[in-house]
Amino acid sequence: MNFDPITFAVIKNAMDAIVDEVAYTVLRTARSEIVKDVMDYSAAICDRHGQMVAQAKTIALHLGAIPEAMAAVRSRFSADLQPGDAVILNDPYEGGMHLPDIFMFVPFFHGGSLEGWCVVICHHTDVGGRVPGSNASDSTEIYQEGLRIPPVKLYEAGAMNPTLERLVAINVRVPERVLGDLRAQYAAAQVGVRELGRLFERYGVQTARSYLTELLDYAERLTREEIQRWPKGSFTFTDTIDDDGLAPEPIPIKATVTVHDDRVSVDYSGSAPQVRAAINSTLSYTKSCTYLSVRCALKGDIPNNAGVFRCIEVHAPEGSVLNPRMPGAVAARALTGYRVFDAMLGCLAQIVPDRIPAAGEGGNTVVCLSGRRGDGSPFIIVDMICGAWGGRPDADGIEAVTNASQNLSNTPVETLEAQHPVRIEAYEFVPDSCGAGKWRGGLALRRSYRVLSDEAFMQLRADRMKFAPYGLAGGAPGRPAVNTLISSDAESALPSKVTRWLAREDVIVHVQPGAGGFGNPLEREPERVAADVWNGKITAAYAREHHAVVVDAASGLLDAAATRELRARLRVGATV
Amino acid sequence: MAARIASQTSQTSHTARAARIGCDIGGTFTDVILQHPDGRLFVNKTSTTPREPGRAVVSGIRAVLAQAGLAAEAVGELVHGTTVASNAILQKTGARTGVLATRGFRDVLEIGRIRTPTMFDLAWHKPEPLAPRRYRLEVNERIAADGSVVRPLDADEVRAAARRLEAEGVEAVAISFINSYANPAHEIAARRLLEAEFPGLLVTASCDVLPEMKEYERTSTTVVNAYILPVMRRYLARLQRDLAAIGIRAPIHVMASNGGMIGIAAASERPVFAVASGPAGGVTGAARLGASTQAQDLIVFDMGGTTAKASIIEGGTPALTNEYEFRDGISVPSRFLKGGGYVLKVPAIDIAEVGAGGGSIATVDAGGLLGVGPESAGADPGPACYRLGNDRPTVTDANMVLGYLNPAALAGGTLPVDPAAAHAAVARYVGTPLGLSTLDAAHGIRHIANVNMARAIRAVTVERGRDPRDMTLVAFGGSGPTHAVDVARLLGTRRVIVPVMAGVFSAAGMLAADAEHDFLRAVTSRLEASDPAQLETLAGVLRQQGGEALAAEGYDAGAVSMVLKADLRFVGQSSELTIAMGDAAIDHAALDLLRTGFLQAYRETFGYAAEEPVELVNLRLSARGHRDDRLAFDGLQVDRAALAGTRGERLASFERGAPPVATPVLARADLDATERAGPCIIESYDTTIVVPPAARVRADAVGNLLLDLDA
Repeated sequence: MNFDPITFAVIKNAMDAIVDEVAYTVLRTARSEIVKDVMDYSAAICDRHGQMVAQAKTIALHLGAIPEAMAAVRSRFSADLQPGDAVILNDPYEGGMHLPDIFMFVPFFHGGSLEGWCVVICHHTDVGGRVPGSNASDSTEIYQEGLRIPPVKLYEAGAMNPTLERLVAINVRVPERVLGDLRAQYAAAQVGVRELGRLFERYGVQTARSYLTELLDYAERLTREEIQRWPKGSFTFTDTIDDDGLAPEPIPIKATVTVHDDRVSVDYSGSAPQVRAAINSTLSYTKSCTYLSVRCALKGDIPNNAGVFRCIEVHAPEGSVLNPRMPGAVAARALTGYRVFDAMLGCLAQIVPDRIPAAGEGGNTVVCLSGRRGDGSPFIIVDMICGAWGGRPDADGIEAVTNASQNLSNTPVETLEAQHPVRIEAYEFVPDSCGAGKWRGGLALRRSYRVLSDEAFMQLRADRMKFAPYGLAGGAPGRPAVNTLISSDAESALPSKVTRWLAREDVIVHVQPGAGGFGNPLEREPERVAADVWNGKITAAYAREHHAVVVDAASGLLDAAATRELRARLRVGATV
Repeated sequence: MAARIASQTSQTSHTARAARIGCDIGGTFTDVILQHPDGRLFVNKTSTTPREPGRAVVSGIRAVLAQAGLAAEAVGELVHGTTVASNAILQKTGARTGVLATRGFRDVLEIGRIRTPTMFDLAWHKPEPLAPRRYRLEVNERIAADGSVVRPLDADEVRAAARRLEAEGVEAVAISFINSYANPAHEIAARRLLEAEFPGLLVTASCDVLPEMKEYERTSTTVVNAYILPVMRRYLARLQRDLAAIGIRAPIHVMASNGGMIGIAAASERPVFAVASGPAGGVTGAARLGASTQAQDLIVFDMGGTTAKASIIEGGTPALTNEYEFRDGISVPSRFLKGGGYVLKVPAIDIAEVGAGGGSIATVDAGGLLGVGPESAGADPGPACYRLGNDRPTVTDANMVLGYLNPAALAGGTLPVDPAAAHAAVARYVGTPLGLSTLDAAHGIRHIANVNMARAIRAVTVERGRDPRDMTLVAFGGSGPTHAVDVARLLGTRRVIVPVMAGVFSAAGMLAADAEHDFLRAVTSRLEASDPAQLETLAGVLRQQGGEALAAEGYDAGAVSMVLKADLRFVGQSSELTIAMGDAAIDHAALDLLRTGFLQAYRETFGYAAEEPVELVNLRLSARGHRDDRLAFDGLQVDRAALAGTRGERLASFERGAPPVATPVLARADLDATERAGPCIIESYDTTIVVPPAARVRADAVGNLLLDLDA
C-alpha cells in the first residue's frame, strides 16, 4: 500500500474523535461521583496487536498501564472471543493497577477477525474489602483490599454474565453504582466499536491496519527526534514520601534518567523496598507514571500512544515500592505514582530546564467518609482534593488545579451535601502557603468536613507533611500539608495518613501543601509581589520576609523606595 | 432608565404591519435587514465599528430606510444580535465586579472545577477569574442542603462588605451563597439590603439567574451576569438614544443565546442570557427556513473566516444545551475538555465550533502530519491569494487552487485576488514537505478542513444519538456553501439547502425569532416519589413568571405559549436530559409520561436505558410570545438583481488524481426549478456555491438552492 499523508491525517483525526466519543459517553452515563464529577476514568483504542493507538483526553496515568493489562487479557483469551464480549480485570498482579480501577476490554471484530480493542477504565466507588471505598492506605495484604478480578468475561455476546454479576454485586458495598458504572463502560465501548467498524468499512481492512501502525510509528518518530536533541548522560533526583502510615520511615523514590541517542532509560534502583502499607505501586503503574513524565517534557502535540512508550525503557527492582511482590497491598498506590512523577520531573528539570516547573502539591488528598444515614442507609464519600502547580521557568504556578499528571475534577460542595450527611465548612485558598520564587508556586487549598451522621469512619490519605514540594533554581519549597481534627471545640493535629472513627459534629480540616517556587524570590518583580498582597494571596509580612518587598497591607500598594533599600541591604549582606 | 422606556412601549400598536429591522453585528460587517410592511426585504452591509457598535447599526438602518423609502416612524420593531457581552468577557472590559459569598467559600469562583483543557501541557494558564480575590468577600450565613437555616444571615457583615466594595470602586456585585438553590432567603435578603442601602452597586443574586445546584456553575454564571451588566445597560441605553435621535422609538429586542429574543428590560437585568447572541439568529432563521421547506430535522452549518459552527434543529426546534463554556480562542471539538473558559449555565443553542474557516492556515508538523487551523489569517491579512501580507496557505487558497473560486476577484468583484500566490503558498508549505503535487496538496487541505467540520457536526449529532443521514444540512456564512456538499457527503447527509441571502442570513434569522424567556426551579426528588400537586404549584410559579415577563414586552395571554420541561436523570448521575411535558396540569399520569419520555430519550442518546429510579432535578419553563409578522421564508420576495453574478466556465478539480474538468460558472439568478447536474459553480456576491459531480441543484420559488446528493 502507498502511504498517503492526507488519508493519514484523516484517520488520525477520526481515531481522536472516536475515542473522545467513547469517553464522552462514559461521562454522560456513569452513576458515581468519582466518574461523572471527578472524572477518574479513561478510554483508549488499541490495534489488533493490543497496542494503544489513541487515548481520550481523560486520565493519562491510567493509559501507560494498558500494555501490561492487555498482555494479561491476551494471554487468557485469544480465539474464544466474539463480538459483544467484554473482558474485565482489576488484579494488580495480573495487569491491573489497584482494585478500584476496573479495566474493560471490548474486542472489535471486522470481517470475522479481531481488528482492535476499545478500552475503558473506571475508578469504582467501592470494590469491597475491609474499608469502604476500597482505597485504604493501611491495608497490608492485597486480600484485604477487596474483590480481585482476574481477566474474565463480564459480557458474552452482548449479555452480562449472571454469575459474575451476582458475584460482583454481593462483594461490593454499593452494587447498583458499581454495576451501573460497568454498564456505562460497556455502553461507551460499544460506541467505539461501532465507529471503528465504520472506519474499517470506509477504508478497508488492509488500509486501516497499516495506518493504525503508522500512527504508532509517527509518535515514535516525533519522540525520537526530540530526545535526540537532549543532552546525553545520566540525571538523578530523589523525592520522598513522608511514610506509609504504619511505620515512621520515610520512603525515598530515586529516579535516574539516562538519555541515550534517541531514547531514554529510567532506573529506580535506590528507591525504598516494598512497604507494609498499601502504597506500593505495581510495575505497570510505575511505567505509566514514567511514560507520562517524559511525555510532559516533550514538545508539541505528539499523540500519546504506544509509539511514545517504545522510546522509554523502565527498570524498577523487584520487591521495591515501585515493583512489589505478591501479596503486597497497593490500593493507595496513586500517592507513590505522584512521587514518581515528582522525582522524574526533578530529573527532567536537569535535561530541559526551560520547560519543567517546581513541584506541585504532590498528588490529590483522598478523604473517605462512610457510615449510615438517619434512615439506616449506608453512604460512602470518596472525595479528592487538588491541587497546585509549582512556579515555572517563565510563569507563576497555578492554584486550584488538577495534578499535572492527572486530569481530575472536584465534587461540588452542594452535590456532596445533598447526597451525604456531611457539611463542608470551607473550601478556599490558604494565603502564604505558596513556595516563594521569581515565579511563585500555587496556593494550597483548605477543605473541611463536618460529620452529620451519628458516626463516620474516615480514611484520610495525604502526604508532604515532612517533605514539602521542592522549589527549583533557588525557589523555596511550598508549605507542608496539615490535617486537623476539631472535636468538641478542641483541636488536635493528625498525621498525614489516618484511619479512624469520627463522632457527630466532628470537623476534619485538611490543608493541602502549597507548590514550590521557581528561581530566586528576591528577583521577583516587586509589582507582582504587591499584586499578590493586593489580591489577598500573600500577606505583607510574607512579601517582606520572602521577597524583600515592602507593601502596604491594606491598600496593597508597593513602597518602591523602601523595597529598593531593603533589597540593596540584603544584597550587601549577601556579599559580606 | 432603559428598562422603563421599553415596558411603556406597547407592542400592540405595531402589530399592524409595521416595518421590522434585524441587525447582526459581526466581527467584520454589521448586517442590517429591513422587512417592509409589503413583504419586501432590504439589506445593508456596513463595516463594524468595534468601539461603538451602535454607530454602524444606526448608519445601516438609515441606509435600509432610504432604500425602502420609509420614514423612521414606520419601524415597529428592531431585533439585534450583539457581541457587546461576549466581547466584554473576551477583552476583559466588563465591570469591576465583586462577590458576596458564604463564609469559607470566597474562592469558589477561582477554584472552579480544577480540570485543564489540555494534557501534558505544563505551560497551561488558567483563565483569570472575572472577580479577583480582593473583591470576593465573605459573610456569615449558611443554608443546609435541605433548605433549613444553619446560621442566619449577618446583615451587618453584608453592610460592611458592601462598604468595602464601594470604597474599592466596585460597580457590580454577584451574590452567591452555598445551597441558595434550596432556599434563596439569604440571597434575597442580602440583595434587598444592598439595593436599599447601596444604590450605586448593581446587584445580581444567583437565585435570580440560576436557582440550580452546583455552586461553581451558579457562581460563575452569576458573576458573568454582574460583570457584563453595566456594559450592556450602557450600550442598550445609548443605542436607544441614538435610534431615538433618528426618530426610531420602536421597541428594541436582543437575540438571546437560546434563539429567542428578549426585550431591552430583560436584557438589562439578565444579560447573561444573551452572551451567545451572535450565532443565535442564523440558527433561528434556519428553523424557519426548515419549516418553509418541509425539512424538520436540520444540521445548521455556518462557516466563516475563522471558525465553523454546527448545531441542529429537531422537529423544527433548535437543540439547546443548558451549560456551555465561553472561552478565549476557539472551542475544541472535544466536548468534555473543561476548564478553558467561563462557565455559563443558561439555555443556549447547542453549538459546536471548530477552528476551520476560509482563513484557517494549513501546516505540516515535524512528523509529517497535515493540519488545518485553528490558527487563522482571518480577513486581515487574509488568505495568501489576497496578497495582503500572509504567504501561508489557507482553506480559501486551497479552494482557489482547485478552481472553485473566481480567479480575478471575490465578493462580487470588489476584492481582487491572485491565484498564483495561492498556488505558491500551497506548494511551498504543504505540497513540497509532503511530496504531493500542488493540486493534491490543495485537495488535502480542503479535505482536512472538511473532516474537522464534520467532527463538529458529529459532536451535535452522533454524540447526542442523532443520525446526520436523516437530516438536511443548511449552509450559510461566507465559506459554508463552498464546502457544504463535501461535508454532507462525509456525514452521509443527502440534502443541502443554501438559503437565499446566505450572506446576511443571521440578520434575517432575527426577524424570524419569537420572544422567549426561560425560567427554572430546582426540585431534586425521585420522580416516582414526587408529589404532583407540589410540582404543579411550582409550575404555577414558573408560568406566572413567564406570563409577567412577556406581558412586560406587550404580549397578552392569547399570544403566549408555554412549554414546561423537566430535567431528569437516573439517581446518582450528574448530567440530565431535558424532557418536555404536556400542557395539562401535572398529575400522576403526567409523571408516568415523563418517565417514559426520559427513558426513550435516554435510549436514543446513549443506546440503552436501565429500569432504575429516575430523579427529577429541575422544572423549566420556556415562555414564548408570538406575533404574526415574524419573517417566514416561504413568502420572501427577493430582488432578482441581488442574485446576479458572472457566468462562464473554468477548470476545477473535483477528484484527486483526475485532471481538472471544464466546469460551468453560473449566477444564482440562472437557477430555477429545473434540476441541474453537477459539476457547476454558482457565484454570488457573498459566497460561492460548489456543486460537485454526483450532486444536483435547483432553486425553489423563493430562491433557496436545494442540492441533492446521489447515493
